[in-house]
Amino acid sequence: MSKYLEIFLGILTAMGGFVEIGELLFTVNAGVKFGYSLLWMIAVGTIGIIVFCEMSGRIAAVTSQPVFYFIRQRAGYGAGLLTLLAANLASLLTCAAEIGGIAILLKLLFGGNYFLLVVVTLIFLLLTVWFLSFQAIERIFGLLGLMMLVFVAAGFWFGPDWSQMAAGFVPNIPEVKTSSDYLVYAYFAVALLSSIMLPYETYFYASGAIEDGWNPASVTQNRLIVIVGFSLGALLAVGLLLNGALYFQPLVIEPQLPGTAALAPAFAFGKYGLILAILGMFFAFSGAAIENSLTAAYNLSQFFGWSWGKYRVPKDAPRFHLSWMVVFVLAALIILTGVDPVQVVEYSIVFSIVILPLTYLPMLLAARDEDYMGPYANGWLAAILGWAYFVLICIAALAAIPLLVITHGGRG
Amino acid sequence: MSEHYLDIVRQVLDRQVVDANHYNCGKVDDIELDLSGKLPRVTAILVGNQYSSDRLPEFAKWIFQKFFGRSRVKIPWSDVSAITDDVKLAKNADEYGLDERNGFVYRFIEKLPDAWRK
Repeated sequence: MSKYLEIFLGILTAMGGFVEIGELLFTVNAGVKFGYSLLWMIAVGTIGIIVFCEMSGRIAAVTSQPVFYFIRQRAGYGAGLLTLLAANLASLLTCAAEIGGIAILLKLLFGGNYFLLVVVTLIFLLLTVWFLSFQAIERIFGLLGLMMLVFVAAGFWFGPDWSQMAAGFVPNIPEVKTSSDYLVYAYFAVALLSSIMLPYETYFYASGAIEDGWNPASVTQNRLIVIVGFSLGALLAVGLLLNGALYFQPLVIEPQLPGTAALAPAFAFGKYGLILAILGMFFAFSGAAIENSLTAAYNLSQFFGWSWGKYRVPKDAPRFHLSWMVVFVLAALIILTGVDPVQVVEYSIVFSIVILPLTYLPMLLAARDEDYMGPYANGWLAAILGWAYFVLICIAALAAIPLLVITHGGRG
Repeated sequence: MSEHYLDIVRQVLDRQVVDANHYNCGKVDDIELDLSGKLPRVTAILVGNQYSSDRLPEFAKWIFQKFFGRSRVKIPWSDVSAITDDVKLAKNADEYGLDERNGFVYRFIEKLPDAWRK
């Protein structure tokens, strides 16, 4: 494959894989509650995930070592193990939420028993990851997830007020009815940041770079993919927020299910809008479920030094392969208990931001270390952005749980 | 080793261990030192849950050893052939009992259809 085609596909994949169930629901509801006011947080989160993934992709390309290799080396065994457990718990919860979301979509498409559809989803995911190559998974789910662009088209079809929209990209505090709404606003700001900067994306991206055989010559490709791909992915998030602000807010509807969110494209484009939205969500959620299960297996293997990678013959990496299977099964079991997937989404998003600094700091330290990175160590821009975002995510991590409790999960 | 200077904590502890065929076989979970001489001397690298969990607080150590066993493998320092980003051994993993292709997980995975595909 030519280099340019590879970069082009990488960009589209990054874009298509940008949104998962948590980001979808939080972003639409942020639009419902606060109109354009939280657009700036999409920009802040997108720059954050670009900074984090660029660093970890660069480290992977230069050293061929993924995230949890560095975490164990930098943080030591005890702190590294704590980080591993927290990261994998977040991945498990996110994977469970995605499986629940997929089952809801299948129920919308075909009807049937929800719990049976959870089992069908589990089997579909297990077979997909077992039989498809890493590159095929990356491309199929990333590219077909681009059907989510129908939300962007719908967002602009509703006719946004361009000056208000531009103002939304400037950090602001909106006028609200009660003082407790300020806390709800803060909760949504933190949740949006978390849903865009989900740590699994970084672990998966770095491990994927190694699966794809990146080397120091891939540093520019890495930069292009994260900057262009994630910026275009942010367009999806903007589209979702516009759906919330322009379609659901006037109807006083706060979508709590993916199917409800699909009503906006359905209103704008009829039957085809609805089908595109549901299929787009199906591939986006499936991609995220797969990424989370593989991420948990990557993390375990890298931390304990097992053989890992989809590129290996399965019998040569048995623990790695069993790990992702176990994650899928556990995630499905969580949903089969009858827990509401949306509540799982909420907890996974909040928990993710709480643990983010634990994985961010070792990567930041490794990326600036000239012993490891040689001429590819952080330059001045990466250093400034890296530390600025570390401070920001620490503040968000400290605020996340108190805000979750005080605002009753954003319900005020 | 021909190194004049080796930072044993930074360059050896918690590093990936690979065998003579470059197959991953765990991490350096601890290091054995001989303190009887004038200067401390590294005598072995230690791999296994017994050693890694010894580095945890008591309660966590108890849990980890209870659930994940007390595997322990001592590899003489003389069997370390190179230290790069990884710690490379002179022999194959199965000679130390570190080849994950010998366990029950392998026996499950190898029976699945397509488990031997390239």
